[in-house]
Parts: sequence; C-alpha cells; structure tokens
Amino acid sequence: MLENYFPILMFILVGLAIGVLPVLMGWLLAPSRPDSEKLSPYECGFEAFEDARMKFDVRYYLIAIIFILFDLEIAFLFPWATVFKDIVASEPMRFFGFIEVAIFLTIILVGDAYAWAKGALDWE
Amino acid sequence: MDFKTTVFFFLSAILIFAGLRVITARNPVHAVLHLILAFFTSAGLWLLLQAEFLAMVLVMVYIGAVMVLFLFVVMMLDINLDQLRQGFWKYLPLGAVIGILIAIEMGMVLGSRYFQVLDSEVPGVAANASNTRELGALLSTDYVYPFELAAVVLLVAIVAAVALTFRGPKKTRYTDPAAQIRVKAADRVRVVKMPVEKQD
Amino acid sequence: MDTLMQFGTGVFGTAWPAVWTLIKIVLIVAPLMLGVAYLTYAERKVIGYMQVRIGPNRVGPLGLLQPIADGVKLLLKEIVVPSGANRFLFVIAPMLSLAPALAAWAVVPFTDTLVLADIDASLLYILAIGSMGVYGVVLAGWASNSKYAFLGAMRAAAQIVSYEIAMGFALVVVLMVSGSLNLVDIVQSQQKGTFADMGLNFLSWNWLPLLPLFVVYFISGVAETNRAPFDVAEGESEIVAGFHVDYSGMAFAVFFLAEYAEMILIATLTSLLFLGGWSSPVAFLPDGIVWLLAKICFMLLFFLWFRATFPRYRYDHIMRLGWKVFIPLTVVWLFVVGIWMMSPLNIWK
Repeated sequence: MLENYFPILMFILVGLAIGVLPVLMGWLLAPSRPDSEKLSPYECGFEAFEDARMKFDVRYYLIAIIFILFDLEIAFLFPWATVFKDIVASEPMRFFGFIEVAIFLTIILVGDAYAWAKGALDWE
Repeated sequence: MDFKTTVFFFLSAILIFAGLRVITARNPVHAVLHLILAFFTSAGLWLLLQAEFLAMVLVMVYIGAVMVLFLFVVMMLDINLDQLRQGFWKYLPLGAVIGILIAIEMGMVLGSRYFQVLDSEVPGVAANASNTRELGALLSTDYVYPFELAAVVLLVAIVAAVALTFRGPKKTRYTDPAAQIRVKAADRVRVVKMPVEKQD
Repeated sequence: MDTLMQFGTGVFGTAWPAVWTLIKIVLIVAPLMLGVAYLTYAERKVIGYMQVRIGPNRVGPLGLLQPIADGVKLLLKEIVVPSGANRFLFVIAPMLSLAPALAAWAVVPFTDTLVLADIDASLLYILAIGSMGVYGVVLAGWASNSKYAFLGAMRAAAQIVSYEIAMGFALVVVLMVSGSLNLVDIVQSQQKGTFADMGLNFLSWNWLPLLPLFVVYFISGVAETNRAPFDVAEGESEIVAGFHVDYSGMAFAVFFLAEYAEMILIATLTSLLFLGGWSSPVAFLPDGIVWLLAKICFMLLFFLWFRATFPRYRYDHIMRLGWKVFIPLTVVWLFVVGIWMMSPLNIWK
C-alpha cells in the first residue's frame, strides 16, 4: 500500500517547486525599483487610516464552526457509504444498515434546523 | 536503515520542530501555520502505520476545517503579547503541574510495552484490505451505538455554537427590490376628488 | 518499454524508480500547464465570440501565441511587496494556493491503467487535498494588509467552506452507488447497467440517476474556484480584485495558474464521477483517453459560458444557495438513493 503513496509525496514536492520557481524567476528577471508610494497598500487615493486587520462579523466564525461539524459528519458517512452496496446485498443487514444512518442524519438535521430557525444561516 | 525508517525520522523531525514553533512563535498566525504543518506531518506518520482513512480524515477535518476556524480567530484578534505575558508567573505552578502530569501519562502509555501493561499486539493488516471498508463494516455492525452517540455529540455542538455566538439578526434597514417592482401606481398615489376651495 | 526500464536502471541505479516517477509527473504537469495557458486563450476567444467581439488576434496566427506573450510580460514585471505586508506570508501564499491544486492530480486516472498513484482512497485524498486550497486565499488577503484584500479573503473563505459541504455530500451519494473510494472503480461501475446492455452507455453514467447531484457538484465546483457568477471574492467593480489586489508579476501569475488548474481539476472530476470518465458514450466505439479529454473540454466550456452570461451573484444569495438549497437538496437525494437501492427497483447491483 505504501509504495502507492510515494508518487503522491513526490507530486506534492513538485507542486511546491512549481509554485516557487516562477516567483524566483520573476524575482531574478524583473526590475525592482520600489518607492514609498508604490509600496503603500492599495487605497482609494489616500493613505490608510489604520491597520487593515480588524475585528470581523461573528457570522464568519459561526460559519466556520458549522462547517467543522458538517465536515465531521461527512467523514462519518464516508465509510458507511463505501460499504452500503454490500449492506444492501446482504439480506439480514439491509434495513438495519440504512435505518442506522437515517437516525444519524435525522439527529444532525435537528441541529441544522435549529441553526436555520434561529437565522444563523441568514446573510443580509 | 530502510526507506520507511528514513521517512519516519524525517517526518518526526519536522513534527517536533513544528510543535516547538507553535509554542515559541511570537506571531500567532505563524503559530497556527506551524500547527497546520504539524497536523500534516502527523497525517504522514499515520500513513506509515497504514491508517489510510484516519490520515486522510486528519487532513480533511483538522487542516481543512478546524484550522480554518483557528486562523479566522487568530487573524482577527488583536493579541497583545505584553498583556498575555503578565499572568505568566501567576499561572506557572498550575501549568507546570498539568504539564508534568501529561508527561507522566504519556510516558506510561508509550512505555506500556516495557511495563507490560498491555500484552496484546497490534493486529497486522491484510495486504489488500481497504481501511475505509473495514471501518464502514464495523460502524454499521459492532459500533452502531457509539455511531449514534457521535450524532448526538455533533447535535449538542451545533446547538451550543449557535446559542453561544449568535445574537440574532442584525437590525439593518434595506429595501426589497422584488417588493419595489410589484408596486402599482394605485398603491402609491391616491387621486382625491374635492371641491375647489375659495381663496379669501 | 522494457528497454527503457533497463536503460534507466543502468544509468540511475537504485534511484531509477524515483526518476521514473518524476518523468511521469512531468508528463502529467506539462500538458496541464499547457492546458492552463490555452484555457486563458480559449476563455478570451469564447467570451469574445459570445459578445460579438473577436478576442485576441494579434500575437501569432489567430492570436495563438497570446498566452505565451502574457506569460513573458508577467515574468518581466516587478513583484511589489507592500510595505505593511508580512513579507514571508505574502510570498508563500501563492505557492500554498498552487500546490494543492496540482497535488490532487496525483490520483486522477486517465484510463483503466493510466494512473500515477492508484491508491485505495483516492476520492478521500482529493477531498482532503482540496480542502487545503482555502489557505492560499486567506493568507494572501491577510498578509497584504489591505482592506480590500482582507474583505475578499474573508468572503472567499466563507464561500469556499460553504460549498465544500455540498460537494462532500454529493460525493457520499456517488460512493453509495459505486461502492468504492477508488476513482478507477467509480468509473468502471458506471460502465454497466440496463442502458449499457442496450449499447447506450451514456444513459448508464451517474449523471442521469444522480442528476440533482451532478448539477449541485458542478455548480459548487464553480463556486469553489471563485469563478463567475460566484466571483464576489474578486469583484473587480466593488473590491478591485479582492485577495490578490496587491500582487503583481509572477506572484500574481501563480494565483492565476492555481485558479485555472483548479478549474480543470473540477471539470475532470465531474467527468470521472458523473460522465463515465474515459468510457465511450455508445458501445460500438472503443473507450479511451480521447473521451475523457472531450468531456473535460465540454465541462470547461460551461465555466466560460457561465462567465459570459450570468451577472455576479450577490453575497447573501451565494450563501443562501449553498446552505439553504444545495445542502438540503443533497441530503434529501441521499435518502432517495438509499431507499431506491433498498427497493426492488435498485439499478446498482
């Protein structure tokens, strides 16, 4: 099994190299004549009043938290989905294997419905 | 030393370095990035143990989701290092006790073979067994109850997250274009008939 | 082939397997990069003709050398690092955005046997690697220390994670009907069925029984890559190009490469998961890589077509579409397919 992962390791390294190379070449070939105007952050014609890194709407954090939970849910469903065909094929397990996941999803959908009803998924 | 061992030591070295940088980096965003590197290398180590599914899920859930939230939080908080350092000496004894306890516990787990706490060996993996399929088969038979419990834990987490952070919709005033388009002249203009008023 | 192997072993000794893998990687990446270059050309031409213009036609015959001229121009442009920026993060952000977009290609199969890394969990790998793409965007926006860049990065991040869930659920259903995480197996499972027995293979592919998921997956893919009409992260008219407003020269070019490589990846995955990959649409024609390439081009055309026709979505509409339409739709279809497979009408045996 592990020998199949060797090309992946190399591919990741090649991917990084392809990212580094153009920037390095640009660095070497392109001119570099900085001045204070050129290096100022982009603004609408005036100097920036303050640091751009400001506090943000709590909604973004909430979206990130809900995303983690859904991601976990998908991670739980993946192994089950892979064997679902076998579950369907094996007569005694059939309903059990499906009902189990139906319960799992229903429990989680209650949470989703709560977030929805509270308006946590609304953007205006 | 074969290739696998080389890879193991290489990944372990990166993991230890990244772990150290997480607690020593002054810039919190750098610390989070090193934590991402640490997770990625641990995924590599798990792959070496043939735990394919777990390694992928580690990347997907921790790097793909949890660390995004960390980055959001760290990027937007004004973390003042001097303020953080103020309580250092006050919290040092408690922190030290917890640290030593964790170290002892880890030592006991890692040394379990030496102390012969566990005598069972890790079962070998069949050559072509698919990790994910095995897990799926187990989840839908032996571990159904924990599986459903996981759903309940997720439910609690989602409700708690919404209840703790969400403060209701913002009171913003805005116009609804659809409503504006639907408006007819009759809704807005009223033609009133009235007798002409005489001017004095 | 054997002589090549013997020759290689003779020259490189024990390092030959690594060198051979490297050669194979180059054989995947080089056409991909060429594809990216000419996708930009195709985009300008196609949108040009859709808007009754000609598009680039000055550099070389029919403007065919335009992408190369663009590349050279970008190469010779100064890379400006703004004074308020975090230099290190500013420079590595484009690399972090390109590496996942390329690394995912390691497990993409081109025919039954033509696959670089035939791992058992290739779909899971693509999902895992794909979820790392968001870091390039977020770090670029934060490192620039410009408000426009920061706004764009936050929008992009929230949008990418929202649509990733819809994609994940769509993949779960694809897994249910194909019973394997391996992309080669997923394509092969689409080659049998009632219609395939009648010679009409294309009706047996996943797109027909899983039609809602096919649509959800592809549109989520468009949103994932921040392409029009979901390009509020760039939004030239409001936040002047979003997270890469402060990037110039080759640093900008790397972002560009990443975006287009990701587009081709999404088109390829859609072809593999829903359009039967390399299998031919009718039984009397042989299967082959040509079909896969044709399907990829077909799906890529949609990216360009969308961009030429749809106005930009508003941000709250994007989030509503992701959370309130796509995710419920995929969950419902998961139940439908589950019950379908339990019933006597099951077509995936």
